[in-house]
Amino acid sequence: MSAPVESRRDHFEEVAPSLIEPLRRFLARRTDPATAEDVLAETLLVCWRRVDDLPEQPLPWAYGVARNCLRNAERSVRREQRLTARIATVDPPPVSTPATDASTDDAADDELAIALASLRPEDAELLRLWAWEQLTPADIATVLGVTANAASIRLHRARQRLRSRLRKSEAGSGHEGSRERRQP
Amino acid sequence: MTDVPDDAALRARLQASDPAASLPVADPARTARLLEDVMSTELTTESRESGTRGRSPLTWLVAAAAVLIIAGIGVFAAVGHDSGSGGAPTAGDQPSGSADTVTELAMPSGAIKGRCPVPTSELLSSQTVAFDATVVSVDAGVTTLEPTRWYAGEPTDLVRVQSPPESLKYAVGAVDFRDGRRYLVSATGGRLSVCGFTGPYSPDLAALYQRAFGD
Repeated sequence: MSAPVESRRDHFEEVAPSLIEPLRRFLARRTDPATAEDVLAETLLVCWRRVDDLPEQPLPWAYGVARNCLRNAERSVRREQRLTARIATVDPPPVSTPATDASTDDAADDELAIALASLRPEDAELLRLWAWEQLTPADIATVLGVTANAASIRLHRARQRLRSRLRKSEAGSGHEGSRERRQP
Repeated sequence: MTDVPDDAALRARLQASDPAASLPVADPARTARLLEDVMSTELTTESRESGTRGRSPLTWLVAAAAVLIIAGIGVFAAVGHDSGSGGAPTAGDQPSGSADTVTELAMPSGAIKGRCPVPTSELLSSQTVAFDATVVSVDAGVTTLEPTRWYAGEPTDLVRVQSPPESLKYAVGAVDFRDGRRYLVSATGGRLSVCGFTGPYSPDLAALYQRAFGD
């Protein structure tokens, strides 16, 4: 038997609020708002049911759950609307475009988006987890269900590949060079 | 490992294009409601102990994925499910190779334009088929569900709900099957009962099913 309902509730109420924002962001980066909302609820439901299994650091684990739920949710979308899905990946949904209107042109780093989209999906996802979710290789390993060592090596290679794509696109369009030097 | 400053610059550049950077923080009231909904889900009838026999939702996700793969490849025969033991499978359009038993249902044929009776356990208990299921695929005109619990009717491995194109809009709007989600479904005469008798899993609806088919 699992722990009594009250203690499970207490545990979940203690942990879940800190998961919601990161999970919302994780999903907003990867799918449309409606699917994000559904998958968030689904993910929290899994966390609730498996509250006794939650690790000490629940977030990477929860990202892993969200990732699985999202894949499941998008399987039919992909089947029915392959094209739409592809566009949504390359071109994030409207709600998630940068809000700073004044700097929209500057903020839209098309070269980066194209370079990222040209990578293998696994590589792109590693880079997203690293930069957007700001995870360490060990945490990325938890999300993806691989060893920390493998995550570290793959991340290293993914960064190299992205850099190489960016260099190529820089070389291909010299006039864009000024943006490349821009320090964030 | 190598070029740490390069890594930092690359990470910063990626972060600058983070699509969620502008995502506003969730409304706390909504978040609280969401958590409450989530926590109330399992505290009702369909507990791990009674309904799903300890299987976690992940298991169901894996199972759903497996069903899709199996249906696609059609190598399920070896597992040894006997289609002969099932209820009334009309596996007419199922390609060879799958031994899953299937219940075929159709959407109501436009007769739901009129009044909807208030869903009561009495009305619900007259349904010939009732089950708790997760949608494993939504294709044009066909939704496939994998039942986890049968309240009424002959249990089968899968349920397919046909919706002819003309009724798709209305009927699917009325039920709105979505891939991966859980529903409580009832039917009579091979046609889905809508009007609140079939809907996404909720504690209230589960309680109604429990009252109607109580075990």
